[in-house]
Amino acid sequence: MIFFEFAKRNLARHKFRSVLAVIGIVIGVLAITALGILGNSVRLSASEQLCMIGNELVVLPYGEETISDANFEKIEKVADAIPVRSSVDKVILNGESTPVMIYGMRSEDIPKLLEKEDGQFLKHGSLNCLVGSRLADEYELRVGERALIKSQKPRIVGILKERGIGFDINPDNAIIVSDKMFSSLYNSSGYNSVIVKVDNIEDVKEVREEIEDRLNKREEVVRVMELKMIVEGIKSLFRTISVFLLGIGAISLLVAGVSILNVMMMSTVERTKEIGVMRAIGTSKSGILRMFLFESLILGAIGGVIGAILGFGAGFLVDVLMLKEASYLFAPSSILYIFLGIAFGVGTSVISGLYPAWRASRLKPIEALRYE
Amino acid sequence: MKVVELIEVTKVYELPRGSIKALDNVTVSIEAGEFISVMGPSGSGKTTLLNIIGCLDTPTRGRVVIGGEDINGLDDNQLTRLRRDKIGFVFQQFNLIPTLTALENIEYPMILKGLNGYEKKAKELLLSVGIDLRLGENKPNELSGGEQQRVAIARALANEPDIILADEPTGNLDSKTSKDIMALLKDTNERGKTIIVVTHDPQVASYTSRTFRLVDGRVE
Repeated sequence: MIFFEFAKRNLARHKFRSVLAVIGIVIGVLAITALGILGNSVRLSASEQLCMIGNELVVLPYGEETISDANFEKIEKVADAIPVRSSVDKVILNGESTPVMIYGMRSEDIPKLLEKEDGQFLKHGSLNCLVGSRLADEYELRVGERALIKSQKPRIVGILKERGIGFDINPDNAIIVSDKMFSSLYNSSGYNSVIVKVDNIEDVKEVREEIEDRLNKREEVVRVMELKMIVEGIKSLFRTISVFLLGIGAISLLVAGVSILNVMMMSTVERTKEIGVMRAIGTSKSGILRMFLFESLILGAIGGVIGAILGFGAGFLVDVLMLKEASYLFAPSSILYIFLGIAFGVGTSVISGLYPAWRASRLKPIEALRYE
Repeated sequence: MKVVELIEVTKVYELPRGSIKALDNVTVSIEAGEFISVMGPSGSGKTTLLNIIGCLDTPTRGRVVIGGEDINGLDDNQLTRLRRDKIGFVFQQFNLIPTLTALENIEYPMILKGLNGYEKKAKELLLSVGIDLRLGENKPNELSGGEQQRVAIARALANEPDIILADEPTGNLDSKTSKDIMALLKDTNERGKTIIVVTHDPQVASYTSRTFRLVDGRVE
């Protein structure tokens, strides 16, 4: 392809200028790719660590310390409710003393919220306990061992599966005991929170309003948190972060585009006479157009590929340094940003080249020939 | 056979300070194999005449027939094709394409036309204008003026055009080189090419068989 050859040679003629134009594209693509991968990795790592259950409501006491039995019964009339009591206490695990979150739950409720890794769940009225996965890892706890809470020595009968950070309960670093056991440890009345499971996610809002209506009739005694809203809020936060990061990338590409436009405009003006000669000896308008478009395409493609490679490298560095995890880099949604970066680089470059190329192709041969 | 026929051709340029009649009712016809010079003071319309014959410009009025083809009403692509296939240009400033080697400059019109075997033919042309094949690998700026003009003549001959148009072909050359170039053009003419040279050098005109004198856009 003769016009591709022309494009290559014309770019080689002004190496320094071409390199500068490419650097602009490299920076833009680098920004898009690296920031895109970063945003995506943060999102992936967050959704891996967060336990996002959309169809739950969490009812928390407001004004008072706990939710009373009477109020719990009212909640139970609206929907399936799981009362949770909690306390932080010093616990001795494998001979080490450490403050741990202790949840007291009805044994029949436990399988509704949690999954076990090893052992079994608590039987009704059991005086044993379950431990969260992180706690088990940290203190090398195995089924059959005992924990020491105050004067009680519950046996660990099960180890829970890792669940991630939740907005209802966080069992990973906690010990779960039956409500009976909890009562014998702490003589508190009422519940610290009530988790409401709504069968249909569409009904979440309705159920929430009904609970609020029934309980907060005279004065506000509970606050109801909709996990769906929190989940949506977090998702939209990550979307905002991604868009913001991509925006930075887009601005650098815009600047690169302007610089390519400038380079190409200079080039068309400088080569006016040459274009006139080419036209005179039989080069068509579309030939001139193609020659210039190839030039911007080559600049964009080189810049795009270099930028994407560097962007991938930068994404790798940031992932390893900040998230200490490189696997997000190879997630399809991360790889997508590499192609997105290249596409934007080439696209910006070609679009910037359109006007100069069109202008060059429209030059009248006699006027171009006369140009000195 | 007539290769160029201009019938009552007028060219008017519309300028902000009024219109200028560059060609005024010009009628000329050139037979195949002629060696023509066009002379006249600057502003007499020489270049306009050459541009119209070269299909770089179209007349305001009148008919132009180049190589048997009436150029009236042809669009830009058709005019471009006509220039590529029927006309060879030789310029005062040589105007070789700087990114191409001498040989590639000769190949280029043939590549545009889509000819096969252009590499072999370009070498033959280079040799026929008296340039070494070794020099053919050089870029234009590595050649002397005379060498560049020889390459330009070879380029003009590449697609076997009906006419060679030369605009002051010796204007940028010393007198010795000028003589060589005119001898080359004369030689090319003797091998059957129709050549039209625009010049104001009587020495150049002396090589040609017929001279048009242009004054104020009219042929005398």
